[in-house]
Formats: sequence, C-alpha cells, structure tokens
Amino acid sequence: MSTFYDESEYDDNVTSQGPVLRRLLKVLKPHWKTMLFAMIGIALVSFLDAYFTILNKRIIDEGIAESNISTLVRLFSIYASIVLAQSFGFFLFIYLIGLQGERVRYDLRKALFNHIQKLSLSYFSKTPLGWIMSRVTSDTEKMADLLTWGIIDTTWAITNIIFASIYMFTIEPKLALIVVLSLPLMIIVSFKFRVNIYRHYRQSRKANSKMTASLNENITGVRVVKALRREDKNLKAFEVLSTEMFRESYRAAFLSAIYLPTIQTISAISLVLVLWQGGLMVSGTTLTVGGLQAFVSYIMMILWPIQDLARVYAEMQNAVASSERVFSLLDTKPAIVNRENTLPPTSLVGDVIFENVSFHYEDGEPVIRNLNFQVKQGQTVALVGPTGGGKTTTVNLLCRFYEPTSGRILIAGHDYLEYDLQNIQSRIGVVLQTPHLFSGSIRENLRYGNLEASDEQVEKAAKLASAYDFITSFEHGFDQNVGEGGNLLSVGQKQLISIARALLAEPDIFVMDEATSSVDTLTEALIQKGMHQLMSGRTSFIIAHRLSTIKSADQIFVIEDGQIAESGDHKSLIQQRGIYYNLYTKQFRHDLETKFDPFIDAGTEANTA
Amino acid sequence: MIKPEGSYVDLDMPKILSSKKLASLWHLMKGYHTNYLIATVFLGLAAFARTNMYLVLGRYLDQVIGEGFVGNQLLLAALNFGAMIVLQAISSFMSNWMASFTAENTTRRLRDYLFDHIQRLSYAYHAEAKTGDLLERATSDVDTLRRFFAEQAVGIGRIVFIFIINLFAIYSLSPHLARISVIIVPIILIVSMIFFKKLSKAYESYQEQEAVLTTNLQENLSGVRVVKAFARQDYEIKKFDDNNREKFNRGKKLNLMHSFFWPISDLISAGQQIYSSFTAAMMVINGALTIGNFVTFNSLIAWLIWPIRNLGRLIVDTSRAFVSFGRVSEILRAPEEDLFSSTYEPAEGIRGEVEFRNVDFEYEKEHPVLKDVSFKCEAGQVIALLGSTGSGKTSLVNLLPRFYDVTNGSILLDGVNLKEYSRSYLRSQIGIVEQEPFLFSDSIRDNITYGVHREVTQEEVEQAAREAAIHDVILNFSNGYDTLVGERGVTLSGGQKQRVAIARTLLINPRILILDDSTSSVDMETEMQIREALDKLMANRTTFIIAHRIQSIMAADLILVFDKGEIAQCGTHEQLLNEPGMYRDIYSIQTRIDSELQKEIDSVNIL
Ligand SMILES: Nc1ncnc2c1ncn2[C@@H]1O[C@H](COP(=O)(O)OP(=O)(O)OP(=O)(O)O)[C@@H](O)[C@H]1O
Ligand SMILES: Nc1ncnc2c1ncn2[C@@H]1O[C@H](COP(=O)(O)OP(=O)(O)OP(=O)(O)O)[C@@H](O)[C@H]1O
Ligand SMILES: [Mg+2]
Ligand SMILES: [Mg+2]
Repeated sequence: MSTFYDESEYDDNVTSQGPVLRRLLKVLKPHWKTMLFAMIGIALVSFLDAYFTILNKRIIDEGIAESNISTLVRLFSIYASIVLAQSFGFFLFIYLIGLQGERVRYDLRKALFNHIQKLSLSYFSKTPLGWIMSRVTSDTEKMADLLTWGIIDTTWAITNIIFASIYMFTIEPKLALIVVLSLPLMIIVSFKFRVNIYRHYRQSRKANSKMTASLNENITGVRVVKALRREDKNLKAFEVLSTEMFRESYRAAFLSAIYLPTIQTISAISLVLVLWQGGLMVSGTTLTVGGLQAFVSYIMMILWPIQDLARVYAEMQNAVASSERVFSLLDTKPAIVNRENTLPPTSLVGDVIFENVSFHYEDGEPVIRNLNFQVKQGQTVALVGPTGGGKTTTVNLLCRFYEPTSGRILIAGHDYLEYDLQNIQSRIGVVLQTPHLFSGSIRENLRYGNLEASDEQVEKAAKLASAYDFITSFEHGFDQNVGEGGNLLSVGQKQLISIARALLAEPDIFVMDEATSSVDTLTEALIQKGMHQLMSGRTSFIIAHRLSTIKSADQIFVIEDGQIAESGDHKSLIQQRGIYYNLYTKQFRHDLETKFDPFIDAGTEANTA
Repeated sequence: MIKPEGSYVDLDMPKILSSKKLASLWHLMKGYHTNYLIATVFLGLAAFARTNMYLVLGRYLDQVIGEGFVGNQLLLAALNFGAMIVLQAISSFMSNWMASFTAENTTRRLRDYLFDHIQRLSYAYHAEAKTGDLLERATSDVDTLRRFFAEQAVGIGRIVFIFIINLFAIYSLSPHLARISVIIVPIILIVSMIFFKKLSKAYESYQEQEAVLTTNLQENLSGVRVVKAFARQDYEIKKFDDNNREKFNRGKKLNLMHSFFWPISDLISAGQQIYSSFTAAMMVINGALTIGNFVTFNSLIAWLIWPIRNLGRLIVDTSRAFVSFGRVSEILRAPEEDLFSSTYEPAEGIRGEVEFRNVDFEYEKEHPVLKDVSFKCEAGQVIALLGSTGSGKTSLVNLLPRFYDVTNGSILLDGVNLKEYSRSYLRSQIGIVEQEPFLFSDSIRDNITYGVHREVTQEEVEQAAREAAIHDVILNFSNGYDTLVGERGVTLSGGQKQRVAIARTLLINPRILILDDSTSSVDMETEMQIREALDKLMANRTTFIIAHRIQSIMAADLILVFDKGEIAQCGTHEQLLNEPGMYRDIYSIQTRIDSELQKEIDSVNIL
C-alpha cells in the first residue's frame, strides 16, 4: 500500500540546520513583542530564583547564626514578597507563551492551507492526502512546541546558568572557572549526539506521514477492503509502517536517554573538582563556609538547567525535522500560476480555439497530440471516443487545471494564459466525471455553485437537473445531509446534484464530463429537455458515451489517442462511415444480428408521452 | 533491544473499555508492566540519589565547619557526591529508556489495533463517520496518550518515590518538621481536582475543534477538484480560517486556565516552603536543630514540595490523556462487523441460487429503501436490475455480501438463510464491482491482485485484464503493469478505472458476480468486448447486473425493474416488452434513437 512516490523533497544534509532554524524564528517575527515580554518575564523569574540562594545565605548567616529573630522575620517577609512577585511574573509569561503557541499554530496552519489552495491538480494526483494532512496537523504542532516552550525553557536555562555563573565568579573565580571549563566538552558531546538523534526523528516524521496516508486511504476505500477481505493484509502492511515509526522514534528516544546522563556525568566531574578544591580553600581560609555553601547551591542550580538544555536540544531535533516538512510544502511551487499583467476579470463569452495543443502528464507519454479545433460562441460540442482517448484531459486543459505543454488555447480572442486563473475557473461550469459532494446539506452543496443563490434559484436549478423530486422526497428535503463525499446518496443522485450545482453557477462555458453516465434513461431524457433550453446561447462541451446525449450537438469530435480522428455533426459522421459510425453502429448491428427482436415495433409504438 | 515487542492481539479490549480511565490506561500497557515498573523504580532511585546528594552535601558542610577533613577524606566526600550524580544519571537513563520503550510500544500497538478496528467497523458506521475525525483521533489523540505513557505515567511513580524518600529523610531530622510540612498535600489535591474538571472540559472542546479542523482539511483535499472547478479557494480559505480561529479562541481559554493553575499551585508550594523553613529556623535559634541540619532541611523541603507541586501538574496533564483516551475509546467501543460467526460453509462451495423473501430494508428507521422485495433465481442465472436513480438497486446488491443486513424478511442462498453464512465466507464467494470503483495508490498489478489471497502468476493477471479489455491499455503505459496509480486511481481515466476494477473482481473468480453499473464510463465498443468476455464467464455463475442500457441487460434470465424501492415489474425481456410500464418506456426511448440511427444508416447505404 501507499508505495506511490517516496518523499524526498529535502536534501539529505543533516549537519547544517542553520537555514531551517532561521526560518523557524521568522515564524515568530509578527509576535516578537509577546515573545520578548515572555522572555523578560522568565529571565526575571530566574533572576529572582538565583536571589533566593543569596537570601538563604543571609537567613543562615544573619538570622540563624546570630539568633536574630527580627532579622529572620524581615528576611522571610522579603522572601514571601519575592515569591508573590515571582508568581505574578510566572502567570504573565505562561499566559503569554501559551497564547503565542496558539498563535503560531494558527499562523502556520493558515499559511499552509492558503498555500495548498494554490497548488495545482498535478500535485494532488501524486501526493497522498495523508502526507499533506500530517504536515498541517502534527508537524505544525511539533513546531509550535519548540517555538514556545522550547524557547522558554532555553531562555530559562541559559539565564539561570548565566546568573549562577556570575554569582559564582563573585564568590570564587577559581572554582567558577572549573565549572565553566566543562562547558566546551558538553557542547562537543551535544553535537555528536544531535546528528544521530536528528536522523532518527527525521525518519520518524516520515513514517508518521506514511502512516497517516495509509490510514486515510484505508478509511476512504474501506468498502473495497471489506468486499475483497483485505483486512489482514492491510493490517500487515500498516504494521510495517507503524513498526518503522516505532523503531525510529524509539531509537531517537533511546539516544536522548543516553545523551542526558552523559551530560550529567560531565557536570559531575567538574562538581567533584569544585568540592574538593573548595574544601581545600576553606581549610586554607580563602573561602567562608557560607560562601562555599552558596557556591555549592549554585552548582546544584545549574545542574538542572544544563540537563534541561540538553532535553530541549534533543526535542528540538524532532521539531526541526517537522519544520523541514512544513517548509518544503510551503516551498512547493504551484505548477499553474497567473502570468504577469493578467486581463481584468471579464466574461468568457466568445469562441474557443485549440491551436496545435499538445499535452502530457508524464514526460514521454503524450496524451494530447496536436489538437486543433474551433468552437463558435453558443455551440454545443460533443467529445466522444474510446475510453482513455483524452476527453477528460481536453476538458482539464480547457479549465486550465493543466496547461498545454505546447500550442495555445484561445478563449474569446485571448490566449487563455492572459486571463486570471480565478476568472477562467469561475466562468466555466464543470460537471466532473467523478461526482464529489461535500458533507453538509444538499442546499449547501448546490450553493457551492453560487454562494449568493436564493432558495428559488436553488430549487429551479434542482428542477432543471431533475433532482427536485428525489430531494423533496427526503425527510429533510433540501436540508438532508449527504454525508462525506455524498456517501449517503446513490451515485445517480450525486450526479444530478453535481449538474444542478454547475447550472446554478450560470457559467459562460458549460462542461459536462459523463455527467449522466449513472442516471437512468427516463431521468436522462428529462434532463435533456431542460438542457437544451439551458445550453442555447452558451458554449457547451459534452462528453458522453451514450448516443442519446451527443446526437444533437453542433459539432462532434471523435478523440482517439489524443487526436481528433473525425469531426462533424452526427449526420455527416454517419455518412463518413468511419470510427464514429463503427463506434455507434457496430454494437447496434451486433445486437440486431445476435438477437433479432420481434417486439421492436411494440416498443416503438408505446412511446412515452 | 530495538525490536518491537508484543502485538495488538495481546490487548484485552473489553477489559480496557470497561475499566475506569486510569485502570484502562494501565491495561493498555499490558505486557510492558515490568518495563514500566523498572522505569518507575529507576526514577525512584534517581530521586534517592538526588536526595542523597543533599545529605552528602550537608554532611560535607558540617564537616568543613566542624573538625575539617583529614587526609584524603575531603576527596572521598567529593567523590561520594560525584558518585551520587552518576548514580542519578544512570538511573535516569534506565528509566527514560524503559519509559520510552513502554510508551512507543504501547502506542504502536494501539495504532495497529485502531487501524484494524477501524477497517472492521460496519459499512453503516463508515457511511456516517468523517474520515478527518477518525484520522484526528487515531493520530493526534494517540500521540497525546504516547506522551502520557512516556512522561506522566512514570511521573506518578517518581512523585510518590521522591515524596516518600524525602519525607523519611525529613522525619529522621525532625518528626515535627515532617508533620508541619505535609499540610500542603490536601490543599494541592483539592485545587488540582477543581482545575482537572475545568481543564478536561476546556481541553475536550479544544480537541473537538481540532478534529473539526482536520475534517475540514480532509474534505477540502479530497474535494480539491470541485474546489478548483468552481474557483472556490477564497470560500474554502475563509471556512478554514473560521474553524482555525475558533480553535485559536478555544486554545486561548484553555491557556488562560493553565496560566492560572500554575502560579496558584506555585504560590501554595512557596507558602508551605516559607512556613516550614521559618519554623525550622526558629528551631535552630531555640537549639532544637543544628545549622547543618537546617541547611539539609532547607534543601529537602524543596524536594518534598516539588513532587507535590508536580502532582498537581500531573493531575492536570492527565486530564488531557483522559480526554484523548475517551475520544479514542469512542471509536473502540463501536462494534466491529462480525466476520466469522455463524459458520455455515457448504463443503463443495455455494451453487448460487438466490431467493429474496419479502425483504424490507432501511438505512434509517422509518425510511424504507427496499419494500417487500421477493424474487428467486436459479444457480447460474443472470439477473438484471434496472430502475430509476435512487430506487435501491445498489442497496439491494449490498445485502448479498452482508454489507448490511435486511430489516425484515430474509434472503436465502442455496436455500439457506444468508445469516447462517459468515460474512467472511460470503465475501469470498461473491465478487462485486462497485458503482464507483476505488483503486489504491499502488501499481496496477497490485490493484488487480488486490482481492486474491494467494500468489498469482503474471498470466492470470493478464488473462483477467484481457477479459476486462484493459490489457492492451496497460501495455501501452511505459511501466506496464508496474505503473503506479494515484490515490483513488486519479491518474487513470474513468473507463480505465472501471476496467481495472472489473479485472480485479474477475481474478477472484467468484461464484456470484455483481456488476453495479460497471460499464457506465466505457464506450460502446469496449463495453461490447467486455460483455463478450463476460458472457463466457457468466456461464455457470449467478450474475447480478445493474445497468441503464437495455442492450446490456436484455439477455438476462430475469429482469427486475425497480421503482422507489419496490419491484415494479419483473420477467424476461420479452415478457416485459409485452406489458405496459416503465420497462417498455425505457426501451422505447432507447430504441427510438436506435431506429433513427437505423434509418440514417439505411439512408447512407442507399446513397
Ligand atoms: N493525472 C494523470 N496523470 C497521469 N496520467 C493521466 C492522468 N489523468 C489521465 N491520465 C492518462 O491520460 C490518458 C487519457 O485520459 P482521459 O482521462 O483524458 O481519458 P478519457 O478520454 O476521459 O477516458 P474515459 O472515457 O475513460 O473517461 C489515459 O491513458 C490516462 O491513463
Ligand atoms: N448509506 C446510506 N444511508 C442512508 N441512505 C442511503 C445510503 N445509501 C443510499 N441511501 C439512499 O437510499 C436510496 C437508494 O439508494 P441506492 O444507492 O440503492 O440507489 P440506486 O438504485 O443504486 O441508484 P443509482 O442508479 O443512482 O445508483 C437513495 O434514496 C439514497 O439516497
Ligand atoms: Mg474521462
Ligand atoms: Mg447505485
């Protein structure tokens, strides 16, 4: 399952994280004030933290040792008021940083979603949906964590270390030097670990999106899974992915688990040295006992920040791996973009001309070859031909879901690349070959074609598409819920609603790609009546396999192997006795031969009223 | 060491679901309880080492003040201190290791279980469920649980350990101080419980909105073609932004509560610390305590309060895990489709005689989709279903593999009630080509062999592809049978998709074949090819065909014409043409076109 394309959008460079980190920080830019306040808050809190130690020292030296109760009470009141101030600062920065987290989540998702809307269909047909989803949901989450708590913890740890170091230097520079000298060692060890931890996190993020894709696909295709009893095999396939996820996250976690104690052990060595040397100094009376005590508690104080820093550093690797994925999605260029100096929005009423249009989805596999045709404003054109011939592709080009690899398409006298994309797509109404509805009511789905449509307009469109009767037979009528993708409706019903939706848009060019393939004959006949009226004056492209639908078209193009093999109206094509003739009469003749039908007259007499 | 252990089958889900939440989470860890306990013990050991560091320091200071060190005593004391740090480090390594082992394994197993469970939920469940919501629960909520197992779950053990050890240490210094230092415990508990309730609610609503957002995204992505077709990007962006903003607002509320809880619990803790510390200081002044002991106590009290303060935090964080577990268990509680019970399996396979007896069927109560449907067919016959859009044809054939069960009446297969067969067995005997073919993002070959549960040769695959008139097309792709198709088969044309789906079903060689409108997107000529192949294949298997073209069905042994869920007409082509009704109407419309065509052909021929 999900073997489609492998994710390898970013280079394998694991040593330099600079660019990603810089970009990550840019995410915070709009909110730098909040961030600054939060950081000041945390710095204040940790500064006061350090002050407690001094206070403790004074409590011992001035209060207890001197047995001075009033000093003791005074010191403790200072202590209490600092605590009070501190917890206010605490409240402030937790609030700010939490808010910041939500903002970052909001910003990232918004940016991603907006960017996704710009991407072209070619991207979506090759990217599993679950990959995109996991980037928008879980990867942004990891980024937000780093950008808030990660930064705060780092700030806290660093200020703690700095303040403690300053105090330590004021007490006894020689001892402080021992502590400071252990830092480079820690940094070297950290870098060594980082590369490995990061590598595994990167793999685990990848595994995560594969898992999401697999789950998503299995849910959307669950009917087939059941019908073909694939449950066991699919589970096996999923287990491979979840095991990969396990392996990578576990390895990363394991490495982090080694990393932290390693850092601690290094600090242990320097502390042993301090205690030893410090003890000697006190004996030599260069250091007071209170001083040594304070010094020792500062050491304890920086022990945890160092450990914290190490933890954040390990977690950061995960977030960086996530950021890469998010940024790579943001960096994906849409294949189809507006050209410079697009024409102002106008109607697309006018002729449609294809000039030497060629197109391929995959290099070296041409789908449309040198297509030429001209459609006059208001004409109805039918595209017919064997399946896989390129009819849908032609329509995809017309709607500019894809652009020709060579040749031009002219609409109303302009190369359609000169128009704004939005302009083209909102003026062409397409009924897609695979009908898709959004969850919500029927009314909401119809309004998708025209957001401002009144209830009357909605009903009118439904009537034109022969959907009115079945809609009103539902318990909630137009407010009936259609389920995700329209799952709660029959396929024919979905098609009728898609037609009504496109009608409601009142487009300049109307495109129906096998829009009634699953609709019964009687309903189809009804629709056709309505359509005639609707298509008059409107350029329309109809793709269909049923003769009934295409017969009355002004022009019929037989598309085979991406080329127009024949064209003309129905009559002339029959006369040509070529592909079209064969396509529609071979079967007919075949049926006549194999099964001579004595009732054929009875049938024709009983015409429907 | 880096191998996964245990499998999702070890989980005793009924027990997990019927227990209280904390117990459920405990049962979820089944098989890793030892690892979890080791993790907890080592955390305790780390706590012990940490406490000991202070005791060692206290003694060290006392000695420095007092008689001083003789010889290498000083170095030994320092080393003793270093040893404690190393012990601390090793223990925390062990506990982190074991905790992540437990957490990663537990979640891997839960993910597998969920995946399997979700794919085994009934058709009806999936028709109503939102994919995005299921995804959100199976990913984000499971991740919250992973965090719980990795961080909070072992945290509980650590807190208890640290608390007890430090309490003992303080007790050994002064029982009185110990007593006055635990006043905080009930206060923190009460405060945390109050916040727990509030935060649970806020977090639940936050997480719900997160699911709304995921669903929004999922729907947008799966309907991306429609979005583009109507150029509704702005509308979608606004919709997503509304949902996103709503989530932001809920997050803000949640955040505000958090920001109140933390400083409050810190204030309470600090109050306790000051009170204890002051009392101890007074004791020193009154001569009840040595200065060295005071220093020790001052450090210890911090380590007594720390776990309690964290207990509050943990309780509050656990509320997230509970909420997420609640959301996951909502999926887990939904009953799986019973695939294997009622194991009637005729030794020689089924023959394919189908009888519907007064079958009623409804998706929702009081809204019948099939009403009193009765008909019978012999093994090997072809039954055609024709009827208006939404008249219940697909619903009817979905009853055969028991995707749904009848509401009233019964269906007999070879004279035995369908309910006597297990679903799994039925599905192995019945092949259905869906009205909307769904392909997986995999190679074409894998898609064709998707339904067979044995090794198949390339010849067999090609044979099936030929019968579905798709073989030549596939050969034309540059990668042939290894061509990858996009999700849902989006890189194939409509007719190609349908034919791959037909080939997929033909390959499983079912006893009963159901073709639900499965040539609607192929041209006449291709359809004819397929039909010729099918004629041979249908020879001795019961076949249900749904189609709208009379030509596709007129050779059927029995034609059922559906109207609004009822059989309006039934009989053979000849019989139906002889009676007035829908069939004849449809036929006349279709033949009118054909006879016009005939005339045109004739006129061409004359010319
Ligand atoms: N997104 C895509 N990526 C790659 N190839 C594609 C894609 N869409 C279609 N094709 C290929 O392009 C060819 C033409 O497909 P198209 O959908 O245009 O056919 P069609 O004439 O509409 O057929 P049908 O009548 O079956 O719908 C087919 O061979 C198909 O496999
Ligand atoms: N999962 C569902 N839940 C509720 N109602 C449903 C569900 N599936 C279908 N329906 C309703 O049941 C009725 C019959 O649907 P069904 O799909 O059986 O029609 P059909 O005869 O196959 O139509 P078509 O020719 O359009 O495929 C329709 O009105 C439809 O809206
Ligand atoms: Mg097509
Ligand atoms: Mg149907």
